[in-house]
Amino acid sequence: MIDYLQFVLAPQMITGLSLGVAVVLVALGLTIIFGLLDVINMSHGEFYAVGAYLALSLGAAGISFWLLLVLVPLLMIPIGFAVERGLIQRVFNAPDRHTTTLLLTFGLGLVIEEVLAVIYGPNTQRPPTPIRGAVEVFGVMLPNYRLFLIGFGVAVMGLVALVVYRTRLGAMVRAAAYDRDMAASLGVPVALVFAGAFAFGLALAGLAGVLLAPIYSVFPTMGRDFILLAFTVVIVGGMGSIAGAVVAGLLLTQVQAVSSLFISPVWSDPIVFGIMVVMLMVRPQGLFGRLGRA
Amino acid sequence: MLAIRDLHTHYGLSHIIQGIDLTAAAGEVIGIFGRNGVGKTTLLKTIAGWVRPTSGGIRLDGVDLGGLSPDAIARRGVGFVPEDRRIFPGLTVRENLDLGLLQRRGRGRAAERRSVDEVFARFPRLAERRRQLGTTLSGGEQQMLAMARALVGAPSLLLIDEPTEGLAPMIVEQIFGIIRDAKAAGAVVLLVEQNVHGALAVADRFYAIERGRVILAGDARLDKDRAALLDAIAV
Repeated sequence: MIDYLQFVLAPQMITGLSLGVAVVLVALGLTIIFGLLDVINMSHGEFYAVGAYLALSLGAAGISFWLLLVLVPLLMIPIGFAVERGLIQRVFNAPDRHTTTLLLTFGLGLVIEEVLAVIYGPNTQRPPTPIRGAVEVFGVMLPNYRLFLIGFGVAVMGLVALVVYRTRLGAMVRAAAYDRDMAASLGVPVALVFAGAFAFGLALAGLAGVLLAPIYSVFPTMGRDFILLAFTVVIVGGMGSIAGAVVAGLLLTQVQAVSSLFISPVWSDPIVFGIMVVMLMVRPQGLFGRLGRA
Repeated sequence: MLAIRDLHTHYGLSHIIQGIDLTAAAGEVIGIFGRNGVGKTTLLKTIAGWVRPTSGGIRLDGVDLGGLSPDAIARRGVGFVPEDRRIFPGLTVRENLDLGLLQRRGRGRAAERRSVDEVFARFPRLAERRRQLGTTLSGGEQQMLAMARALVGAPSLLLIDEPTEGLAPMIVEQIFGIIRDAKAAGAVVLLVEQNVHGALAVADRFYAIERGRVILAGDARLDKDRAALLDAIAV
């Protein structure tokens, strides 16, 4: 029993947790963008891939991994502003906003995938692991890099929650998410807040790309599978909910990790999507309420 | 000084505001009256920038507000207290007020804190509830907060839509008291109100609107003009 815990269950759960933390970062971006702009960003997974490729290229150019953790998200910000201002705002006030923005971002995702394939080729690549080795805790071997990823990711989540729920900027974001017109009439620069939130969401996706690149492989369509999981997390947690993204992200990745010990890992996706379907039937609003609502 | 010239606003194909002219000097309270659906709310929304005017001019202290975004209009000194208060449910009382400070940015932290302290001194009920979420307040308290949130940025034009609807007489008296304060501070106040008698007691002048046009303008203190108003809007 103890052996099973030490050598099978605990390592599997830590692996699931490290993936879960990265999924939460991607899902947080999705849910903030949805909560604020009411736009489902279908290209979010591709920006996760862009983050991973930026880490790969800049890392190969000699920039240290630690610097990339800051640099890549910062590089995503102007990209996010350009996409929001240049593309999304163009169709934002169309009467069928949901359809047009969905198609627009879906198309953008395809373009990014192809561009990545043209620049880097279709083959998988993998940057070196920045921290090697493992520590032993209560007889469980824990890979150092995964532990770092978990700690760093949790710190980022804490920082996001702190900014959104404890600062005046966060109050502006919550107000604009709930009632754009009223927020504007108090002087909140809503257009800037919207573009900033989109850019911030992309920065989080890029960060997840940097963090996961050393563990999972980097390839042009890497965003596809990952974004399906992130969308599931956002739906189960509640569209536009920050707490929901965190709880559902960690929960669903644990379900995947633990269930794959008992039944073939082939079933881990059907199980997770099944949870989403059940959730949509019994509690379509998700586990938690939308950003800006009490 | 507010000057509105030949203002027209459409909602899709319907022509709501059909050429309104209106002027108001600093420190004047202007009552806007008329039946439901004549365009009173649309007039305020057009000034606040929620609805774009089709044509015409809106100038506040010489600055053209026509076609600006709502946040740009707010930062040029226009405070808006819309119908149903629009309190943010996920924000505390204090956070709701803090957003109002964005209307006048760059005053410095000390001046902002003074403004908030003044508001809390004026509204002790809000001070007691500063950490509560906006939606936990009663209707009267939410109206106070909506007014306070607009006033904390020291607006030079205050747009108020139906502030006393559904409130107890004591609260109504307080709301009119706040409007008198705003007037004393030198703001132009446009007050849309179904409670005509109450509003006439705080207003300096009034406009009666019918089908998007001004049908009567007068002095709120003259019995003759008041009688004409009551006649015109048939209350």
